Amino acid sequence: MTPEGLFVAALPEHLLLVGILAILVIDLVSDRPRDPFLPALVTVLAAAGAAFWLHRIGYAGAPFPGQFSVGSDALAAKAVLFVLTVPVLFLARSERLDSRVAMLLLASLYGAGLMLSADSLLMLFFGLELLSLPLYALVVLAFRRPESAEAAMKYLVLGGVGTAVLLMGISLTLGSTGGLSVEDFRAALAGDDVLARGAVVLVVAAFMLKAAVVPFHAWAPDAYEGASVPVTAYMATIVKGAVILALVRLFGDAGAGPELLAVLVALPLLSMVWGNLAAMRQQGFRRLIAYSSIAHAGYLFFALLGAPEGRFEAVTFYVIVYGLTNMLAFACLPKGEDWLRDRLDSLKGLYHRDPRAAILIAVAMLSLAGIPPFPGFVAKFLIFRTVMEAGLVTVAVVGLVASYLGIYLYLRVIQYMFMSPAPAQIRTQPATGFAATAALLTLAAVLLVGVFPGVVLGWL
Amino acid sequence: MSEALALNLLLFLPVIGGILLLALPERRADLVRGLAMVVLLAQLALAAWLYLRFQAGVPGLQFETRLPWIPAWGVHYHIALDGLNLLLVLLTAFLGPIVVAGAFTSITRDVKLFHGMVMFIQFTMLGTFLAQDLFLFYVFWEAMLIPMFLMIGIWGGERRIYATLKFFLYTAFGSILMLAAIIYLAHTVLSADGTPSFAFADLYELGLGVQVQTVLLAAFALSFAIKVPMVPLHTWLPDAHVEAPTAGSVILAGVLLKMGTYGFLKLGFPLFPDAALLATPLIMTLAVISIIYGAGLALVQDDIKKIIAYSSVSHLGYVMLGLVTYNLLGVQGAIIQMVSHGLVAGGLFLMVGMIYERCHSRDLADYGGLAKLLPAYSVFFMILTLAAIGLPTTSGFTGEFLVLLGAFHAAWPQFEQGVNHPLVLASLAVLGIVLGALYMLRLARRLLFGEARAPVAGLRDLSLREMGILGVLVLAVFYIGLFPNDFLQKTEQAAMEYQERILAARDGEIER
Repeated sequence: MTPEGLFVAALPEHLLLVGILAILVIDLVSDRPRDPFLPALVTVLAAAGAAFWLHRIGYAGAPFPGQFSVGSDALAAKAVLFVLTVPVLFLARSERLDSRVAMLLLASLYGAGLMLSADSLLMLFFGLELLSLPLYALVVLAFRRPESAEAAMKYLVLGGVGTAVLLMGISLTLGSTGGLSVEDFRAALAGDDVLARGAVVLVVAAFMLKAAVVPFHAWAPDAYEGASVPVTAYMATIVKGAVILALVRLFGDAGAGPELLAVLVALPLLSMVWGNLAAMRQQGFRRLIAYSSIAHAGYLFFALLGAPEGRFEAVTFYVIVYGLTNMLAFACLPKGEDWLRDRLDSLKGLYHRDPRAAILIAVAMLSLAGIPPFPGFVAKFLIFRTVMEAGLVTVAVVGLVASYLGIYLYLRVIQYMFMSPAPAQIRTQPATGFAATAALLTLAAVLLVGVFPGVVLGWL
Repeated sequence: MSEALALNLLLFLPVIGGILLLALPERRADLVRGLAMVVLLAQLALAAWLYLRFQAGVPGLQFETRLPWIPAWGVHYHIALDGLNLLLVLLTAFLGPIVVAGAFTSITRDVKLFHGMVMFIQFTMLGTFLAQDLFLFYVFWEAMLIPMFLMIGIWGGERRIYATLKFFLYTAFGSILMLAAIIYLAHTVLSADGTPSFAFADLYELGLGVQVQTVLLAAFALSFAIKVPMVPLHTWLPDAHVEAPTAGSVILAGVLLKMGTYGFLKLGFPLFPDAALLATPLIMTLAVISIIYGAGLALVQDDIKKIIAYSSVSHLGYVMLGLVTYNLLGVQGAIIQMVSHGLVAGGLFLMVGMIYERCHSRDLADYGGLAKLLPAYSVFFMILTLAAIGLPTTSGFTGEFLVLLGAFHAAWPQFEQGVNHPLVLASLAVLGIVLGALYMLRLARRLLFGEARAPVAGLRDLSLREMGILGVLVLAVFYIGLFPNDFLQKTEQAAMEYQERILAARDGEIER
C-alpha cells in the first residue's frame, strides 16, 4: 500500500481525527472555555466533503487489506452520515456545546466511519464500540434531570449486552469458518451447521439490538427520553443509520438462508406493528420518536430481504430521508424547560403561537408517515419495491399495512398543533438562532430530496 | 403561449398563489381573499381557454408534457388533457373561485391557512386528473388527503376531529393497498420490456393474466370505491360532510368524490379489462344498491347536510352504473353526471352553508316556509333541487338519462340471450330517480313551504355576492342541460377508446 493510498482512503476519518485534536488542543491552551462549534462544523463538513469527493471520482482502495477498505458504497454512506451530523451540531449549539460534547460526537462519528469500511469482524466490532461508547457519555452529559443518569445506565447495560452478543457471534464465526473476515461471515451465512447458524443469529441479534428492533428495543424509549434533544436526534438517525448500513456491508452480496429469512421477516414486521402501536399512546415527544424509530428500524431491516444490488440504495436513501425529517422535527421543537418542551401537550395550538414551526413539524410528521409529496413516501416506496422484487409479495403487502398503522400517530401530532386549543399556561418559546438555522438547512434538504428524488438517487 | 405550457401553468398557479399568500400578513384577510380569488380566476380562465382549444375527435392525449422525474425508475412528470379529464379539470377550476367566494363571510379564523389549503387542494386535485404517470398520480392522489384533513379538522363542526381522522384513515387504508398494487405493477413492467415505465399508455398494454388482474383490480377498486363512495364503504362520507365547513363540503362533493369514479374510468377498468369484465355484475349490483340505499337513507334524515351527503352516494351510483355499461351512451352519461353532480351538490352544500350561517341549525325540524321569508334563496334552492332530481333542461337530466339509456342498451342484448340481471338492475336504477324526487322534494317542502318559521327572526335574503355565486352555478347547470352537445363531442373519442379497450378484452375472450 502506498502512503498516498493510506492517506486518501481514510481521508474523511483523518479529517475527523484532526478536528478532534484541534478542539482538544484549543481547549488545553486557552485559559477560558472556547466555543467548539466552528471547528466541529468545519471538521464535519470537511469530512463529508472528502467522502463525497472520493465517491464522485470513483475512488476505491484497501490501505489495510482484509481490515479496512473503501469503495463507492462505503464513501457514499459516510458522506450521508457526516452531512446528517451538521444539523446535530447546530442543535447541540443551541443547547449546550462544550468541547467535551463536540469531541465525543466527532469520536462517535469516527467509529461510524470505521464500521462502514470494515473488512473484518474485529474492525467492525471496534467501529461499533467507538460509535457507542461516546454516546453513553453524551447521554449523561445532557444531565438535565435525574432520568438522564438512569437512561445512560440502561443504555450502557443493554449496549454492553449487545457488545457481548456480538463478540460471541464473532467467536462462533471464527470457530465455524476459521476466519474473522467478512467473507468468513458470508460463508457462515451460507453454512448450515449449528455453529455457523448460531454465529449469524448472534451477530444479527446484536445489530438488531443496536438498531432497536423488537424484541431488542426496550432501551430505546428510556435512552431517547433521558438524553438531550441533539443527542436523541443523533441516536435516532445517525447511529441507527450507521448500524444498518454496516450490516448491509457485512451481508455484501450474500442472501439470507430460509431460516434467517424467517427471522428477518418476522422481527422487523413485529417492530413496525409494535413500534407504531406503542407510539400512539406516548405523551412525550422523544418517547414518541423512539417508538416511531423502532418502527422505522423495521422498515430499514426489511431492505435486507431484497436483492443485494438494491439493498444499499434503498437503505441509504431511507437513512437520508428519515434522518432529515427527524432533524427537522427536533429543530422546530419550541424552546423551554427540557421536560416541558418534551410533552406533547406543549405542542397544542402551536400553529397559533409559531406557525412556521407547526408547519415544518407537520411536514416532518407527514414525511415520517410516508405520505406523498414528502420524501418519506419515495423512501418507503423504494424499500417495499426492493422487497417485492425479491419475490416476497405477501411480506411487502403485510409490511405496507403495518406501516399504515403508523399514520395515526403522526396525524395526532398534527391534530395537536393545528386543531387543539393551546394549554392555559404557555411556557415555551419559538425556537430561534442555531435551532432555527438547523430547521432551515434541513428544510432545504427535505425539499430537495422531496422534489428531486431522482437527483439524490443518482448520486448514490 | 403554447397549450402545453398553459396546462402546466394551470396546474402550478395554485402553488405560486400559495407561496404569494405566505408573504401576506395574517391580519389582512381582505388581501388574502383577494389574492386567492385572482389566482383561481386566472386558473379558470386558463382552463376555459384550454377547453376551447381542445380538439374533439383526436385520439390520445393533447397538450402533453413529459419530463423525467426519477429516471432510474422510469417515473415521469407527465401531464396531459384527454376527453376523460377535460371536463373534470374544467369543473375543478370552475369551483375554485366559487369556494373562495363562498367562504368570504363563513371563514374568519386562520384565513391565510384556509386559503393556503384551498390552493393546496386545487393543486393536488388538478394534478390527480392531469397525471398520465401512475407514480405521479399516486403522489397527487394521496397528497390530496392532507389539505382536506386540515380543512375539516380546523374549520369543522363539533365532532370535527373524529370526522377528519375517520376520513383520513378510511381513505388512506384504501390507498395503502393501491400502493402495494402499484409497486407490484412497477416491478412487473420493469421485467416485461426492460425499460421501467409508469406511463398509463404503457400500462394499458401489459396484458396480465386474469388472476393477477383480479387481485390488482381488487386493490385499486377498494381505494377508488372508498373515495366514490360505494355502499358499503360510504360510512366516512356523512361524518366528513356534516362536520366539514361549507367550503370543505363543496370541494368534497364537487370534485373529491369524482376522484374515485375517475380512477375507475381512467385506471381501474382499462388497466385490468379482463378482471373488470369479471367484476361487472358485482360492480353493477353495488352501484344499484348505492343508488337505492343512498336514496333511502337520504329520505329519512333530518340533518340537511346528511340528506345531501347521502344523495351524493345515490348520484355517484349512477356514475358507476354508467361506467360498467361499456357503451358510449353510458360512459359519456357517467362523465356528464360527474360534472353535473359536482355543480348541483356543490351548489346545494353552498346553500345549506348560507342558511346555516344565518340560523346556525341544520335540523330540518327547525325550518319551514322559507319561501315567504327568503324568496330569492328559495328560487335558487328550488332550481338546484329540480336539477338534483334530474328534471329535463337541467344537467342532472342529461347525465342520468344517458346513463340509464346506456344501461338498458347494454342490458337488452343480454336479456335476449337469457341473462336477466342487467335488465333487472337497470330497472331498479330507474326507481332511484323516483326516490330521488321523493327525498329532494321532501327536503324542499319542509324547508321552503308550510308554516313560515325559522330558528331566528329577521333573516336577510341572499346578498349580491351569494346571488352571484349561485347564479353562475345555475347558469352552468342549465347550459349542460340545454346544450350538452359540445361536452359530448369533446368526450366522445376518449369514451370510445375506453370502450374499445375493455371490449377488446371481451372479444379476446370469445376468440380464446
